[in-house]
Amino acid sequence: MDNVLTVKGLKKSYGKQMALAGIDFEVRPGEVFALIGPNGAGKTTTLRIIATLLTPGDGTISFLNHDLRKEPDLVREKISYLPEEAGAYKNMKGLDYLHFMANFYARTPEEEKAFVDRAVEITELGDRLKTKVGTYSKGMTRKILLARALMTKPVLAILDEPTSGLDVLNALEVREIVRRYVKEGTSVLLSSHNMLEIEFLSDRVALIDKGRILDSGTPGELKERHQAKNMEEVFRSSLR
Amino acid sequence: MKKFLNLLKKEIKELVNVQLVVSLAFTLLLFNFVGQMSRKEVQKAIGVQPISALDLDGSASSQAILAGLESARFKIERIEGKTKEQAIDIARGGESKLLLVIPSGFGDSLKDLKPSQIETYSYMRSFSLIGARGSAIVRGVISALNNVLSDSFLKEKLPGLDPASLKNPIKSKDFVIVQKRMAEASASDVAGMVSSQSLLIPVVLMMIVIYSSQMVISAVAMEKQNKTLETLLTVPIRRTSIITAKMLAAGLVGLLSAGIYMFGFKSFMGGIGGDDLQAAASQGGAVMRQLGLYFDTSGYLILGASLFLAILVALALAMILGVLAEDFRSAQSMLMPLMFMVMIPYFISLFADINTVSLPIKIFILAIPFSHPFLVSQNLYLGNYGMIFGGLAYMLVVFTVLVVFAARIFSTDRILTMKLRFGKKRGATA
Repeated sequence: MDNVLTVKGLKKSYGKQMALAGIDFEVRPGEVFALIGPNGAGKTTTLRIIATLLTPGDGTISFLNHDLRKEPDLVREKISYLPEEAGAYKNMKGLDYLHFMANFYARTPEEEKAFVDRAVEITELGDRLKTKVGTYSKGMTRKILLARALMTKPVLAILDEPTSGLDVLNALEVREIVRRYVKEGTSVLLSSHNMLEIEFLSDRVALIDKGRILDSGTPGELKERHQAKNMEEVFRSSLR
Repeated sequence: MKKFLNLLKKEIKELVNVQLVVSLAFTLLLFNFVGQMSRKEVQKAIGVQPISALDLDGSASSQAILAGLESARFKIERIEGKTKEQAIDIARGGESKLLLVIPSGFGDSLKDLKPSQIETYSYMRSFSLIGARGSAIVRGVISALNNVLSDSFLKEKLPGLDPASLKNPIKSKDFVIVQKRMAEASASDVAGMVSSQSLLIPVVLMMIVIYSSQMVISAVAMEKQNKTLETLLTVPIRRTSIITAKMLAAGLVGLLSAGIYMFGFKSFMGGIGGDDLQAAASQGGAVMRQLGLYFDTSGYLILGASLFLAILVALALAMILGVLAEDFRSAQSMLMPLMFMVMIPYFISLFADINTVSLPIKIFILAIPFSHPFLVSQNLYLGNYGMIFGGLAYMLVVFTVLVVFAARIFSTDRILTMKLRFGKKRGATA
């Protein structure tokens, strides 16, 4: 089966500052591919480029055999992006927010309802969805944002630090939701600083630093290659 | 279209919040309240005014003066059998704003053709313009009495001659010519009426530009501050639709807000002006029509097009400024340059004639897109259609350039990386 996403020789600069120095990776259907690396390594820049927020420098990005640079509108139909520091419209009620976002993807009112029903199920917020987003806790907001990202069953969900700032229980719930949707066919490209999360969620991992991919493979392969007990040791070993 | 309407609905809902409704309702109430208060004050000022009078002369002439004042809607409170100093103290304790003292010998002086003096003591109980109107009316009455008295003297001493011709041997009959039309009126009166007719244009423009621009800038800045912009930019809707929806929503809500504001302003002005001033305006209107200094349908259409283009330019400019703003607070600071761009032509149009200023200043004024709506009414009256359509074309070009620039910003990394910070160092996005 063809890759969902194929990235080759991707470069990106902000003025004179090189953010990505030519990276290659691919995301296969139904897998979770994780990018891990220290702050400023180029993870968020990579995710933002794939999400069509930033324009790529050199290199090619192929999404379902379409050139992302030439057909960004087509890509946006089939992906969803959850930024690390995302917010929702505070004056909107939770349910209204979900309807508002679903409307961009749904072709019929029935499809919109199906998307929103799915999101309601993911959030498990019940009647709280009838109140304004501005009154939600951080965990509730993150859940509604994750539900927004997954409700359309996108071909590729791009999740930047999906459990950032959440307590243990909320983080666990979010990971389980992601895992469930992967089983239903959604591929996931994520970045995280949490190595436990990486081990729990990822099928394959790429270690990135200073805009270059240092190593990649399954968590098992990486641990074996670096003779490490866990992903934290792999991370440290790669950066040395 | 469905996606665009979805976004437009959301933008309008975000803009029409409780704060806006409360602020507009408060503005309306405030204007209405101040208008009613002013109306009452004006009515008081033009109504029967109490003045105190001490007649130390008691002659037929002094009686005639007091009777004249009474016929000019003054209520005379006569102070009898007191000295001037006592009368000043008595009037101080009363409601009168003016004490009139007619000295003894006043009537005899008049008879002997010697200058006669009346003393007036004004009690400044407030410093409002309306409060000072009473003494102006007294001066008018005294001036009219001077005329009557001098006329009767002249008739007595020089029978058979018209006193008016003797006093003013040269008379002027004023005519104003505008292009091929002519009317009997003074140039200053016509200039005053044109200015008052055009008064509403800059006020309307300023209100709409301020409201709409603030809304666009805030709409973009709030998306950034609340971290919703990144998500919005990745949904399947064209970037130009995002810009258009924000501009259209701000334009509509801005127009509505300005309309409500203008309604309040009209009730405020109506309160101040009252019926007398409106009657005077209708008399002036006849002269203006005779001179062709009024808007017909095409004139209103041209003026409307000019205002509309100015609003579009302001919205496009506000969109770009909103992108530069990092958060809501800095967005408010971004509004200042836009405000100056509207205020500069407004103040220049108040004090100077664009056609007579030096070339560099003229170029500077015409380069500001918001100058053109201020000049439209003058140019329409004078038939300067070249200037009018040149101005419209210029605003259209500026708007197109700004929209293309805004669309370019929204389509590139700049929407996320471009920012102006106030008092902070620049930083790159990781």
